[in-house]
Amino acid sequence: MKNDPKKNYRFHSKEGRRNLTLSVIAVVLGLVFLFPIYWMLQISFKSDMETFGKVLTFFPHQFTIDPWIANLGDKNFLESLRNSFINGFLTMVLTMAFGIPAAYGMGRYKLKGYQAFLLIFLVAQMLPASLMLTPMYLTFSKMHLLGTFFAPPIAIAAGSVPFAVVTLRPYFKSVPVALDEAARIDGCTTLKSFFLVMIPAVKTGIITIVTISFLNGWNDLMYTMTFNVKPEMRPLTANIHKFQSKYGTKWNCIMAYGAILVLPVIIMFIFLQKYIVGGMTAGAVKE
Amino acid sequence: MKRKLVSVIMSMAMVACVSLPVFADDAAATTELAPNDKGAEELTLWHYFDASADAQAIIDFCNEYNALQDAVYINPTYVSRQELMNQYTIGAVSGELPDIGMVDSPDMASYISLGVFEDVTDQLGDWDEIKNFYPGPLSSCKDADGKIYGLPQNSNCLCLAVNMDALKEAGIDEIPASLDAFKEAVEKTTDADQSRYGFAMSAISTEEGTFQLLPWIVATHNGTKTSLSDLTAADAATGLDVLGGFVANGQMSPECVNWTQADDYNQFCAGKAALAEIGTWHLASIKDDVNGAFEYQVALLPTGDEGTSSSTIGGENFGICTGCKNTEEAVKFLQWFMSAEEEAKWATQAGKLPIRSDAEPVYDYEEDGFKMFQEEMNYALARGPHAEWPTISEQIYTAAQKVFLNGESAADALAEANAVIAPILEANPLPEQ
Amino acid sequence: MAAVAKQKHRGKGIRRENEGYAFILPGVIYMILVVGYPIVYNLILSFKDTNVQNLAKGTSVFIGLQNYKELFQNPTFLLILKNTFIFTFGSLVFQFTIGYLLALFFYKKFTLAGPIRGLMLIPYMMPMAVTGLLGQNLFLQDGLINKLLSWIGVGPLPWLTSTATAMVAVVIMNCWVGIPFNMLLLISGLSNVPEDVYEASSIDGASKIQQFFRITLPLMKDAILAVLMLGFIYTFRAFDLMFIMTAGGPLNSTDVLGTYSYTLSFTQYQFSKGSAVAMVLFMCLMVIGILYLILIVKGEKDE
Repeated sequence: MKNDPKKNYRFHSKEGRRNLTLSVIAVVLGLVFLFPIYWMLQISFKSDMETFGKVLTFFPHQFTIDPWIANLGDKNFLESLRNSFINGFLTMVLTMAFGIPAAYGMGRYKLKGYQAFLLIFLVAQMLPASLMLTPMYLTFSKMHLLGTFFAPPIAIAAGSVPFAVVTLRPYFKSVPVALDEAARIDGCTTLKSFFLVMIPAVKTGIITIVTISFLNGWNDLMYTMTFNVKPEMRPLTANIHKFQSKYGTKWNCIMAYGAILVLPVIIMFIFLQKYIVGGMTAGAVKE
Repeated sequence: MKRKLVSVIMSMAMVACVSLPVFADDAAATTELAPNDKGAEELTLWHYFDASADAQAIIDFCNEYNALQDAVYINPTYVSRQELMNQYTIGAVSGELPDIGMVDSPDMASYISLGVFEDVTDQLGDWDEIKNFYPGPLSSCKDADGKIYGLPQNSNCLCLAVNMDALKEAGIDEIPASLDAFKEAVEKTTDADQSRYGFAMSAISTEEGTFQLLPWIVATHNGTKTSLSDLTAADAATGLDVLGGFVANGQMSPECVNWTQADDYNQFCAGKAALAEIGTWHLASIKDDVNGAFEYQVALLPTGDEGTSSSTIGGENFGICTGCKNTEEAVKFLQWFMSAEEEAKWATQAGKLPIRSDAEPVYDYEEDGFKMFQEEMNYALARGPHAEWPTISEQIYTAAQKVFLNGESAADALAEANAVIAPILEANPLPEQ
Repeated sequence: MAAVAKQKHRGKGIRRENEGYAFILPGVIYMILVVGYPIVYNLILSFKDTNVQNLAKGTSVFIGLQNYKELFQNPTFLLILKNTFIFTFGSLVFQFTIGYLLALFFYKKFTLAGPIRGLMLIPYMMPMAVTGLLGQNLFLQDGLINKLLSWIGVGPLPWLTSTATAMVAVVIMNCWVGIPFNMLLLISGLSNVPEDVYEASSIDGASKIQQFFRITLPLMKDAILAVLMLGFIYTFRAFDLMFIMTAGGPLNSTDVLGTYSYTLSFTQYQFSKGSAVAMVLFMCLMVIGILYLILIVKGEKDE
């Protein structure tokens, strides 16, 4: 099993045939598993007639982009898209600002009572949104944060900061001590070595956190819905009730809405797939 | 790689921002809210009008009022119904509320009790036009002591939509006018080959379900009208029993327990249900949605004895929220908004029924349909007002779902509901209707 | 070299410890500020009798454990508690088993292993709200799932319109999200099993199945427990999926603690009851969280 990844497989060799067989099985598994995504996309290109038709079709017989136009043409659509990005971006920034130093502190220093700190971070992941809504609303109201872009990310980051701590801590632990000792001897302060030596050393892990925390912000429904009612400040997910009540069972429009929400995720994922996969596998489990 | 990621995110964000103004202009084919040029005091108004007709109407009406006077600027904001309810509930604790808020009439009593709305009896008590408001909708704006917290803005009720082609096909000449005739019509129009059900309604586990279920419960059988306060009476279960039979016999889709009113209306328009329970507001779009596929008509809901009918009053109120920046002016706006003339205009434009007797809308489309809804209003029941209406409502749709899904007998299901509802109504009875 | 440096600067140990706290503290303070108040708020509220009748009047009083007592005597709550555990264990069993099998497969090295297992993460990355909508569509009476079942002569099943099958549909959708998550974490667990152990055992004539149960499973114990714990936490507090896909229905059959506490607080205005339900949920997770903590602390001591 200790294959050299750079080895060039040839299909006529035994190794090559094995590679081909496994790849074919993998493609089949992938297609089955991702079929619902295809299903969503194909419905989104169907006409109303076909959506309500008496026969279930597996691809659009009357191809139309009307359902997409119904969504994209919404007066607030582009604002919502921008707001989703802002929501994801701010969540990411907060997660980095609080999560990375904490993960570093817990990974690199032998601290008394670090279990207690870890518990604090863990507990925060255990709260259902419904438990948080009213009291958080009260806090944000006192801090005059309601109706700003900051309230939802602050709440969402309370879930992704712990994820960052749990995932990044083993990364920082695994960096050789010699590395930052050397930096120190070269006259680096702790802060300088943190930024210049340690962060680059755990790059893969950080990219995972960047992506996941961005997605947490992008995907959030509950907090954003509650803390921001101004239509010009709401992200895409918050429109879900509007679309549901407006369309009823107009599945083509609903699925186009879903596809619009998912598409950026897929695009981002294709770019970053290698890093996210690497980061996630190395992280949580080694805890 | 990190740089690559940042650049991916950034470029996506840039595309979104740069293209924003271009597309926004394209989409703005309809009238927009005029800006506050006069620098008048701004009052926020939250609403959940989301049909194309009423969403446009609220903007037009605010524009008109803002141009009409200089004291205040009314700024309408759309918040979906579900979220609006959350906002009021949280607002009851935090005090963050709009100045004027729209509310579904059966929910108003709970919010009054929660302190979401302000007592405006001083401002509205002596208003002589108030006598022209229909008592049903108006009662939902008052608490048990008769204090008033807002005004009803529009009302609606439920009628039967009939696919005339399907009826003819089944060999029925007359639109059913009694529960027995209706039962027969549903049986005969059901056509599995065309995947068409006889009847469609919404029995979803929300207030919408209760809204559509109530007419079948408070119906008149053998000359007696069932009351919500006695669901164990002799004929109380008849209607629900018939509906349960439809589901059991494949004449109504069991998916009605997941359908909103928009869904059951869509089923009708798509020809997948020969008869359906629809609301007044659907008249604004029904012609386009049926799109000439079949002939349709609107009729009274045949819920009981021949010649009787029952329905539920729906509609929206506007209340003055606690902490309103300028109560006097907000009330003045409501008085204008709900004046006879504006009411008539609103009803026509948004496809609703007016809430006062001296408003006389002239509908230039679906006249017969509107006439039918107006007549149905005479037999329609107001929900509550009652602060614990949500609990009562939950019992109604739960009872129906037990019958539809678990095959429980209608009498048993209603008896279980009665066990919860009766003590609540004993402590705080429903007003006389 | 490092050891020498450490000995020389023994005095610096304390300062370095302070440094460590300085790195952690902003995060800890952030969490306490954002999350601490909500917990205390709910705890207090759950001991009162705040509801629609007395919130505005401010006449609610402390009633001790009354809400909790009433909840545990309420058949609806007990059903919901049961639902929550069925949903959690149902999801865990299937997403773990399937995730494990996929992990064993994708751990093998072949050209497309990386890209395809990456693409399979998409369901995990999607907004739950969209997953819920998709689930609603797939499980329609005349939807895709029933169509596929009809090809093998099964059904049609009532899915979301029956109290018997709605939970199954929700669990299937949740597994669709959870499988890739489990698969990834388990692949990394597998990579911790040294190759030479297998080589030694195959010389001893152990079969593949024996190898799996005697070597792979025991060596992955920590990873497996961690995956199950994390899965438990994420599944037990589920909200979005049911909220969109079934709204807890029909007849509470897919209602779980998360959705029920929301309904109580935001639809029925029984605020204290809603908080009590949320606290029950929190307590259950607290137990699991402490178990998890014991596990990882123990794991680190063994290192």
